[in-house]
Amino acid sequence: MVNLLLSVADDKLFLGHCNSDWTGLAPILEADIAFSSLAQDDIAHASALYELIGTITGATPDQIAFGRTSSEYLCSDIVTTRDEFNWASAIARQFFCNHFDYVRLKRLGDATWVPLASLSKRLLAEQAIHIDHVNSWVRHLGKGNDDSATRMQEALDASAPLASMMFEEPDGLDVLRTEGVLTHQDDIFQVWLQPIQSAVQEAGLTVKVQQITDGTMGGRTGHHNEDFTLALSELQEVFSQDPAATW
Amino acid sequence: MVIKNEIIDVLKTIPDPEMPISIFDLGLIERVELHDAEVQVSLLPTFIGCLALPSIAKEIKEKVGVMQGVQSVEVVFINDPPWNTDRITDDGRASLAAHGIAVPDGTSCGCISTQDEYEFRTSAIPCPWCQSSETTMTSPFGPTRCKSIHFCNACRQPFERMKKV
Repeated sequence: MVNLLLSVADDKLFLGHCNSDWTGLAPILEADIAFSSLAQDDIAHASALYELIGTITGATPDQIAFGRTSSEYLCSDIVTTRDEFNWASAIARQFFCNHFDYVRLKRLGDATWVPLASLSKRLLAEQAIHIDHVNSWVRHLGKGNDDSATRMQEALDASAPLASMMFEEPDGLDVLRTEGVLTHQDDIFQVWLQPIQSAVQEAGLTVKVQQITDGTMGGRTGHHNEDFTLALSELQEVFSQDPAATW
Repeated sequence: MVIKNEIIDVLKTIPDPEMPISIFDLGLIERVELHDAEVQVSLLPTFIGCLALPSIAKEIKEKVGVMQGVQSVEVVFINDPPWNTDRITDDGRASLAAHGIAVPDGTSCGCISTQDEYEFRTSAIPCPWCQSSETTMTSPFGPTRCKSIHFCNACRQPFERMKKV
């Protein structure tokens, strides 16, 4: 259970952390406020999930968020991929991740552990707002002009291989299924792909994401790339100097 | 000995730090429990990432804490039931409307919208200033987590709206 919650929370923590880089730099004021708000939401969602993990492990959200070694973080590396301040890349990353978070939260809302189910239902309503927003950006860029459509298409193509890695499973998920804590039997990849396809179609773009079947190891089992290492050292900068620091 | 209603009366005087409404009228208060002189107040956050929560908790502790017969105050945030705009009282709605903040009815289905549904859901929201439906959404993310920003094409005024969750 802890691994499952960490995979969801770590995705949100790092996505929020990376999105906050756009504060003050997004292409228009509304987008700037939106990305900062999305970051704020995602980090708060992560914190609520860490708090839930703390009811099992006894650790505080700060200790969980900042006090682990690289291989103990279970986020997928798409969340820390550097967007090099390319707006289309940031939107593509946001698009794939937000849809995945939505599908996961929806499923966790049916979990038999009540505190998790009620928190997930609460987060889902906020997540739906994120999805509507990112879908509108994908449409906006896809239907903008040739330049914006090309850039959005390139960003979707570049992020697609990383998006497939989101579906790598953290250890122990099969146990939760056997024990009946997770009740869904259908393929989460297909459930995720369907609304992705419709949104991309509405934008006049295409998306090709391969489902991983060869047991490739990535972030969910603690195998991270260089972008993650960089994001982690940034995130832990204060904590590593003073673990008890507060605002 | 302090009674529950007296505590609620005090809670009614605590304003939301970000909006012209009391935390009571906003529907944040789910439970007030009293064990001898120990008070526990359970609140529902509007949005999980609302930055006003710590200051609300602090003010409750201060104001209820000084009441005669109260020894300790604990404030807890809970997610079940989830907060929604239906919890806002009539007084609260009137006060928000007077400040140009629209309040939708009902709860969100938590569904993803198609382009058509999105456009339908974000346009023609009655303007709290002039009641016209000639409005468009400027941004789903406004000055606080719980509000979106809109513009009325009839009276040419911007307005805010509580988000449906």
